[in-house]
Amino acid sequence: MHQFVEAFEFIGRNGAIDGQSGLPSLSHLALETLKVGAIGVAISIVIAVPVGVWLGHVHRGSFVAINLGNIGRALPSLAVLAIGDAFLGLGLTVVEVALVILAVPPIITNAYLGVDGVDRDLVDAARGMGMSEGEILRRVELPLAVPLIFAGIRTAAVFVISTTTIASLAGFSGTLGDPIANETSYHFSGVLGAAICVAALALVVEGVLTLVQRGLTPRGVRVERDVEIGMGAPAPGLT
Amino acid sequence: MSGYAATLAATGPVIPNFGAHSSKCVVENRFFCGDWVSRNWDSVLWPALRQHVMLTAIAVGIGFVISVALALAAHRYGWLERPTLLVTTILYTIPSLALFELLVAPVGANIYAAEIALVSYTLLILFRNILTGLREVPEEVLDAAEGMGMTRGQALLKVELPLALPAIVAGLRIAVVTIIALATIVYTIYDKGLGVPIHTALGEGPFKTELLVAGGLTVALALVADGLLVLLQRVLTPWTRARAT
Amino acid sequence: MWSRLMPDSRSRSSVGVGRSIVAVLSIGAVVLGLAACGSSSSSSSSSSNSSSTASTAASSGPGAGKPAVTIGDKNFPEENILGELYAQALEAKGYKVNLKPNVGSSEIIYKAFTSGQIQMYPEYTGVFLSAVAEQAKLPTSAAEAYKQAKAFAETKGATMLAYTPFYDSDALATLPAYASENKLKSVADLKPLGKKVILGGAPEFATRFQGVKGLEKEYGLKMTFKPIAIELSYKALESKQVDVQDVFTTDGQLLGGKFKVLEDPKKVFGFQNVAPIVKQSVLSEEGPEFEATINKVSALLTIPAIQQMNKAVTIDKQSATSVAAQFLKANGVV
Repeated sequence: MHQFVEAFEFIGRNGAIDGQSGLPSLSHLALETLKVGAIGVAISIVIAVPVGVWLGHVHRGSFVAINLGNIGRALPSLAVLAIGDAFLGLGLTVVEVALVILAVPPIITNAYLGVDGVDRDLVDAARGMGMSEGEILRRVELPLAVPLIFAGIRTAAVFVISTTTIASLAGFSGTLGDPIANETSYHFSGVLGAAICVAALALVVEGVLTLVQRGLTPRGVRVERDVEIGMGAPAPGLT
Repeated sequence: MSGYAATLAATGPVIPNFGAHSSKCVVENRFFCGDWVSRNWDSVLWPALRQHVMLTAIAVGIGFVISVALALAAHRYGWLERPTLLVTTILYTIPSLALFELLVAPVGANIYAAEIALVSYTLLILFRNILTGLREVPEEVLDAAEGMGMTRGQALLKVELPLALPAIVAGLRIAVVTIIALATIVYTIYDKGLGVPIHTALGEGPFKTELLVAGGLTVALALVADGLLVLLQRVLTPWTRARAT
Repeated sequence: MWSRLMPDSRSRSSVGVGRSIVAVLSIGAVVLGLAACGSSSSSSSSSSNSSSTASTAASSGPGAGKPAVTIGDKNFPEENILGELYAQALEAKGYKVNLKPNVGSSEIIYKAFTSGQIQMYPEYTGVFLSAVAEQAKLPTSAAEAYKQAKAFAETKGATMLAYTPFYDSDALATLPAYASENKLKSVADLKPLGKKVILGGAPEFATRFQGVKGLEKEYGLKMTFKPIAIELSYKALESKQVDVQDVFTTDGQLLGGKFKVLEDPKKVFGFQNVAPIVKQSVLSEEGPEFEATINKVSALLTIPAIQQMNKAVTIDKQSATSVAAQFLKANGVV
């Protein structure tokens, strides 16, 4: 399909358009997307991981961790941006709020399930050995929960990167969503090229996070709990 | 503005007084103008809500049927799983807006393009969930079914599918909520759904009342759908409720 | 971990299996029922949409007996108004018109046009040249822009009808006080003020040639740029966040003298008159009165006229349908 050839040519030109000097380059847009996404995911991790991990440790509040988190996923991003725009105007703040709302649910749910699902016998044994609650969390539960927590972070990261397009629709420019939402200026080759970049970026981010996960998982655990949740759909059977 | 006068004929057209029909509230763009809402409910907001439900229902309905078929096939012929997962995962990372725009050239700026894209996203979610649900059925249960003399087909119908039900309904829940969100973007190629008033409002000012009401309706729709499906989950799989946590 | 979610086979009743299957089938039935309900009521709502524009279709006139025409418009208010104007004028002459509003952005509506989904839509000459014809060379007059656009359309089995007096291009606006203080009549007058001038515009305005780059090149302007979202343009000017703001020549807010628009003698912002693009085959099928009716409407559309109509729709929140109807009636077209 010649459109794909044109799209790759667009990528090869780093996003330049004939007759429109001074457009931000594709690499610049990609970096902005990463930046905006990273802030959103970072904030979400800071909020969701401690809460989810603690709830899983005390084996309480599954309703909060799972259902309340699901409400966040249920909120349509464009609608959230629209409401935020009405109250605060469209800026980085509102966009980040929308991204955090989207990213917290998979992270908090998986953090909860990860810690909650650690074999009770192991936890009891550790308690019997005299470990404090904090030590149990740090040395037993967290290492075992790493695969699931990271699965949640990976899911969230992919959601967030894909959602920057929607922010462009609402009027927030500077990310890879720009060419996709402005077909008139960038032509279809630009749309396709940027879309390919977004997909590639998501896959790269997923890959990097997987490597980080491997690094953080203690060797003994890697063989046992290679639970592959994958992107896009959290584990079945929740609630 | 005398600069333009040079191009105007001396007489020019008759410009009627269109009259200021809207309330002060709207002109000042206050947060919520009840009069605008009641005047535009029947013509703008209610049709948009209805269309949004329709777009979602069609996509999830068709997507569900195809996903079940694909999952059953992949369950039977294991080699199908990898390629299907690969294709669906790659599709999922394509920004939805780009997929809509891509479909306009071959299919047209119509409901077919919108639904093809929405059904694709439904597939990604449901296929994975249904397949995993089928897979999670413990070996012993299947063996017991075989031991009881059930055929492959009977085991599927009476044992595997019911046991996979929690996963299936959980997947449906995610799918419905995701499609409601994606349907807000349909307006870019097809003039239906709650994205239409959101888009209009974004360009006007932005027009706060319409943003809040249209955005609010979308959020409410998603929450109601989510809630209904949770209820459905409870009804269909009462055994999952009795989980000691 | 999943085993905790699996049923204890003893607690599952034998009724559960059959019930589950019935439940799954009923989900399917409900979903399909909703879809059927929704589609039948949405098709009645879409027909009520188009019937609201066909409300005064004459049964006689030059259009009687001719095949129906599908007109589309892009998804913003000015285009909605244009679509309604042309559709209602044609219907008054007995033509049968299917109006499809909000088809999409420029590239999308052009695709719908070439695939035959619609047969006519109002297009801006400058946008057509850059977005569709992908022409990088800038025309030097409105007439030349129209000629080039029309020539390109004709290579695609279409043509463009007469262009409107109004043009909807970018422009720079200021508060009248600021303009008189600094003796500003045209954009060129901003040069001596240098970096002191704060220019507001959408982020892409800073990088486009029909934006900051062109102003720099053609007028030697070096202003301080401040990104402002399009919808907040006039607020930014009023609150003096910016001295000069990128606006559109047909904005309703420009009425009433609250803002002064600076002239652009070098035409950095290009030419954006509207000329309906229509398939050649449709023109011949519908007869000469078709083209004459449309051109009659186009000739009426001056900048003040469009500004008033834009104001009525975007600020006073009236429907494009009613605004178009009032305008056409006042000018004896319907």
